[in-house]
Amino acid sequence: MGQDTGNHNGANGASVAENSAQDGLARRLTEEEFDRYSRQMIVPGMGKQGQLRLINSRVLIIGAGGLGCPAAQYIAGAGVGTIGIVDGDVVEMSNLHRQVGHATSRIGMKKVDSLISHLRGLNPLPTYIAHPFHLTPQNAADIISQYDLVMDCTDNPATRYLISDVCVLLCRPLVSAASVQKSGQLIVLNCPPTPQGLVDGKYAPCYRCCFRKPPPPSSMVSCGEAGIMGPVVGMMGVAQAGEAIKILASALHIPSQNTENGPERNLQQPTLLIYTYDLDSAVGPYSFRALKMGGRKKNCFACGENSTLTLEGIKAGNPNYEQFCSIPTASCNLPPEERITAAAYHAAKEKGELPEHILLDTREKEHFSFGSIDGAVNLPFGKFLMKAAAVKRGGGSARDILPPEVVDTDAPIFVVCRRGLDSQETVAKLKELGLDKGGKRKIMDIAGGMKAWKEEVDPSFPFI
Amino acid sequence: MTTKPPKGHFNILYFASAGSYTSKNVEALPAPLPLRKLFATLEERYQGFRASVLDHSLVTINLTYVDVPGEDAAEEAEEIVIQEGDEVAIIPPVSSG
Repeated sequence: MGQDTGNHNGANGASVAENSAQDGLARRLTEEEFDRYSRQMIVPGMGKQGQLRLINSRVLIIGAGGLGCPAAQYIAGAGVGTIGIVDGDVVEMSNLHRQVGHATSRIGMKKVDSLISHLRGLNPLPTYIAHPFHLTPQNAADIISQYDLVMDCTDNPATRYLISDVCVLLCRPLVSAASVQKSGQLIVLNCPPTPQGLVDGKYAPCYRCCFRKPPPPSSMVSCGEAGIMGPVVGMMGVAQAGEAIKILASALHIPSQNTENGPERNLQQPTLLIYTYDLDSAVGPYSFRALKMGGRKKNCFACGENSTLTLEGIKAGNPNYEQFCSIPTASCNLPPEERITAAAYHAAKEKGELPEHILLDTREKEHFSFGSIDGAVNLPFGKFLMKAAAVKRGGGSARDILPPEVVDTDAPIFVVCRRGLDSQETVAKLKELGLDKGGKRKIMDIAGGMKAWKEEVDPSFPFI
Repeated sequence: MTTKPPKGHFNILYFASAGSYTSKNVEALPAPLPLRKLFATLEERYQGFRASVLDHSLVTINLTYVDVPGEDAAEEAEEIVIQEGDEVAIIPPVSSG
């Protein structure tokens, strides 16, 4: 295979773990271990053997945020022997509503150090290893090869594909969760681990078998931008720990020496858990859906039969994860004459140089509710786009979807959004709808959105 | 979260960004509908939906993953057809955490 650490049968972490697990499974529990883990050891299916497997296991948690914090708490509490944590960020105030392994007193500290100090308080017995930097194509294999199981608690698609690819090549099971706004996903991948290229039989899928290509960046929102409810991401992190503990306690993470039927024998139905929590209907139920997923795909780029993916290639920048996840989209760039800076708009308005005009603010109503420029009318972007598409498709007029004062006058329109992208698209759509009256009416974008407004005009503006 | 679809319809659930794009969690569409026509049908209702959401989403019918064939796929005897009363889900990947 030409990989220095990728051979599932070689002298790599997996077989080391297997050997040490064999040795460790024969020993007695210490008095403290017996006491500390007693309540979970008496659960049917766990027992002393399950506990010793946990103690002899090494788990890597990538990301010490909203998923990583709750996941790590239960992994540490359960007594997993070695716990590595990867994260390059520092703790911020806005993390604390959901990242429950940090603390107000540790704002500014590296997240890995903050979380490990919390975990030591919970359980001093495991060995904690800090990797205080982000996972990269260059360091991924070196780090992941030191562990038996990986938990993807990251926050971006490029790292998700990287982690999955390296886990395939190193034969490591991957417990992957993700969450944004009001919903979460959880899936166990590559478990039991199966060498790349084996497709004759039913094997577990990798991330690419489920999500072949990443969404366009414009539709991809981060927790920082879209928001996230603490309990939603917390629920997913906790469920993730549950799956990891189950895999380790039952030794499903150890690649079978007998690849003929080993992995297949242990294959559970691959399942994608979806959690939806609907804030809009306070009385509506939450929902969990367990979706039956397919197995490994024959033509998968990473684990399929003709895959050319290698650890050396990944390290050398092939595939290029950043590029793969940032396919350019049809984001529009307005010409300079249709744009005005926030500072220039403000100055002109103050001096009375602006004619009577309409100011549309296209942020979502939650953002708008914290504050807006005087006189702004809220026109949430998502709904506007949909309605504009409906008009374009089915006829109807701009009058049906815009406030009358916008349609019935010739007053210039200014559009502002959060960071200056949606507003440009809105200007283009308004022109499509004929609101520029053949060029007679000016429609302008306020460049850089409310972020620029805060930076250039009003530093006290409550921008989220 | 969902009620039974009306006669001659199936329910389609929109998760994560699919829900934001359509401003809906669920709606009922006319059945039967060949699976390979699903994306085109949705694109007609929500312009740009395909490129922004559908092309990278996974699809389930009655809680089970299905591969969506290309529209130009030849009509086959074993073609999957969405039936009255089915529950289809559009599930885009979520990345944050």
